[in-house]
Amino acid sequence: MGLEVTVRAEAPIPLDVAFRVEPGELLALVGHSGSGKTTLLRTMAGLWRPQFAQVRVNGSTWLDTAGGVDLPPHRRRVGVVFQSYALFPHMTALQNVMAAMDRADCAEAQRILDLVNLHGLAARKPAELSGGQQQRVAVARALARRPRALLLDEPFSAVDHATREKLYGEIIALRAHLAMPVVLVTHDVNEAQLLADRMVVIERGSVVREGTTAEVMADPEALRAMGIREVAAMLPAMIAEHGADGLTRLEAATGPLFLPTVDGAVGASVRVRIMAHEVILSRDRPVGLSAQNILPGRITRIVPGRGPAVTVHVAIGADEILSRITRRAAEQMQLEPGQGVHAILKTMSVARHHVAKAPATAADRLQGE
Amino acid sequence: MLLARRFLFSVAFSIGLLSSSSILCAQQEVPVIAAASDLQFAVSEIAANFAAETGMQVRLSMGSTGNFARQIRQGAPFEIFMAADEQFIADLHAEGHTLDAGDLYAVGRVVIMVPDGSPLQPDESLDYLAAMLAEGRITRFAIANPDHAPYGMRAREALVTKGIWDDVQPFLVLGENVSQAAQFALSGNAEGGIIAYSLALAPEVASRGTHALIPEDWHEPLRQRMVLLNGAGPVAEAFYAYLKRPAAREIMARYGFVLPEG
Amino acid sequence: MDWTALWLSLRLAAWTVAILLPVSILMGRYLAYRQFRGKGLVEALVMLPLVLPPTVFGFYLLVAFGRASPLGEFWQEMFGTQLVFSFEGLVVASVIFNLPFAIQPAQRGFEAIPVEVREAASCCGMSPLASLWRIELPLAWPGVMTAMVLTFAHTLGEFGIVLMVGGSIPGETQTIAIAIYDRVQAFDDRSAAIMSAVLVGISLFTIAITFWLSARVGRRLS
Repeated sequence: MGLEVTVRAEAPIPLDVAFRVEPGELLALVGHSGSGKTTLLRTMAGLWRPQFAQVRVNGSTWLDTAGGVDLPPHRRRVGVVFQSYALFPHMTALQNVMAAMDRADCAEAQRILDLVNLHGLAARKPAELSGGQQQRVAVARALARRPRALLLDEPFSAVDHATREKLYGEIIALRAHLAMPVVLVTHDVNEAQLLADRMVVIERGSVVREGTTAEVMADPEALRAMGIREVAAMLPAMIAEHGADGLTRLEAATGPLFLPTVDGAVGASVRVRIMAHEVILSRDRPVGLSAQNILPGRITRIVPGRGPAVTVHVAIGADEILSRITRRAAEQMQLEPGQGVHAILKTMSVARHHVAKAPATAADRLQGE
Repeated sequence: MLLARRFLFSVAFSIGLLSSSSILCAQQEVPVIAAASDLQFAVSEIAANFAAETGMQVRLSMGSTGNFARQIRQGAPFEIFMAADEQFIADLHAEGHTLDAGDLYAVGRVVIMVPDGSPLQPDESLDYLAAMLAEGRITRFAIANPDHAPYGMRAREALVTKGIWDDVQPFLVLGENVSQAAQFALSGNAEGGIIAYSLALAPEVASRGTHALIPEDWHEPLRQRMVLLNGAGPVAEAFYAYLKRPAAREIMARYGFVLPEG
Repeated sequence: MDWTALWLSLRLAAWTVAILLPVSILMGRYLAYRQFRGKGLVEALVMLPLVLPPTVFGFYLLVAFGRASPLGEFWQEMFGTQLVFSFEGLVVASVIFNLPFAIQPAQRGFEAIPVEVREAASCCGMSPLASLWRIELPLAWPGVMTAMVLTFAHTLGEFGIVLMVGGSIPGETQTIAIAIYDRVQAFDDRSAAIMSAVLVGISLFTIAITFWLSARVGRRLS
């Protein structure tokens, strides 16, 4: 079940990729421009046919070059959000959404527009909507198709930072209502880390790394392919208290975490992206430091990197953060897997856009359908 | 929605427009007469009288004789051909396009015509023209195209006879038919021209200039012949007969045509 | 004022538009969307009537369906009349020499539709026909309308080809443009002036509509 994709081609760009996405899962295809990720998305949508490819969704075949099957896009149940949104300029937002329906259902279209937070804007034409609003209409239209797979082609690249953050949150919230496999094409690793369950890193048409987001983000090779030199980890935490001095206290698995004020209600779950090079390690709990965040944990493994650095994987309860220190330091401190350490993090080193709401759990998703 | 409504309106309008062609199908009953341009005024008047007397209509198409002959060979649906030169009729008859050899209906004449205000004077000996040519005071002189218009051929012959053809040639403006030549001659852009006598006598033309008859023996005679063409119907036959009757002949005479005996 | 000639001209223009409308949409769309080897040649051929002298064109048309040609003989057998010197012959000639006016503006209209919008239509479940009716035509219709308006106006004014292929047969092939020519030769300046004024009026109206439509293309797609 789910979405299975296999593509091999030599022209116009070489491609050799295979992956699968389970229902309800969000997979990010990450790579530079020209890596082939958009070609893959177009192949899944039916807008491109490579030399050799197979695309199967929930058991039915959309594309099988060997078997001579090639359903055109309008015969596939696919929802596509284009980079430029590609809204129909002569139709209102509501009409755009209804255009994707088998039977035009005004009430249902309104419901979907409400779902993407576009209540009250149904009668506006695309020219009268902001970039973020247009993106939401595009998402609504893709969902109105009742697609078996949802494909997003760099859907956030055309909006500004602030809008992007808001949209991330909405997509995460929306996932509770999505039971189909979702593929997100992006060049922004941060975005992938925030939104995706699994990642496929593509470079020059080949898969460099595939796995869960945590696995991939901890792999320096994969990150180098993406042009990222710094590994990072996502640490789940719960908002405990909004302080009057501009700090929010969150509770992570092994202790409190203080960050500049985080959006969200007390009790809400978030994930915090912690850059490995911002984490200092100490054998004993340090005193007299300015850093507010000191989390006890246990070393699970130490991965040597190129040059003078090593990446230390530290378990924080059931979660994990990464720390990137010099090999010299690791040797001086005689760090070994299994040892207890303290991870030290400056409050001010966590950027605002590195905090995201946590996605609904799988159980919540299934219940929501 | 708006697009659909506009589309349907256009379709309805078009259907209305196209189906009106059935109304004009009745035109098929009205024969088309191909007449040499020198007959412009004469045959229009005769056709009007014909309609008044008999109630039957004909349609007139005016043009150069040579052009009509070509079109008839290509299957143009004329029923009567009134040519300005009988050779064209003879050729068509030999090729089998006509019902018979036709009838001589008139002998035409050419005149030199000058518009009011022109420095050129009309004189039958063409001396004035020759003099102005010698002085270099001629800029444009109009005749019908000698290649396919009989009146143009005769104009050339007359100029050759006078001996000034080579001199006038660089200044010639050729009308596609003798009517157009008359147009050019009177337009004010030419000093004058050689056109049909029948045209010069028409009030519309006479009022705009003066003319002089060119001697008959300076050119081949303009023996104008008419004929019924293959497929001519009863209305055409009636009109053909009408053309030979006194009333029609009298009109022809008024326009300077010399009539054959009988 | 020769009403027969004006009516004939309007009928000729109407028939030409009726026949060329589907051609305009289908060919304009095809040329806008597809790249193929020889596309340049096809576009040049479509443009040809624009640059070819009307008399050359008329000559070739006469050769192509005159009495002696295969097409002319076929027509004679089928319908008992000639294709040349008939209204039907004028329609055939008119359709051919209006191809550039009918196709090019429509092609521009379809080209202006962003590719992704068409792809989105397909991903929304619309078949090519549904996409044409619901998305492409509503966006490209100013281009198509411009093509039809230009075709209509151009047909009203066409002279050389009509004269060569149709002659000047009142009620059959004597269009208003030729009627004006005929009236001038008959020294009937008054009729010629009236008919010319009518044609000028129609031409100005055409230009106004074309400008208005062009403005709409811009607004449609922004």
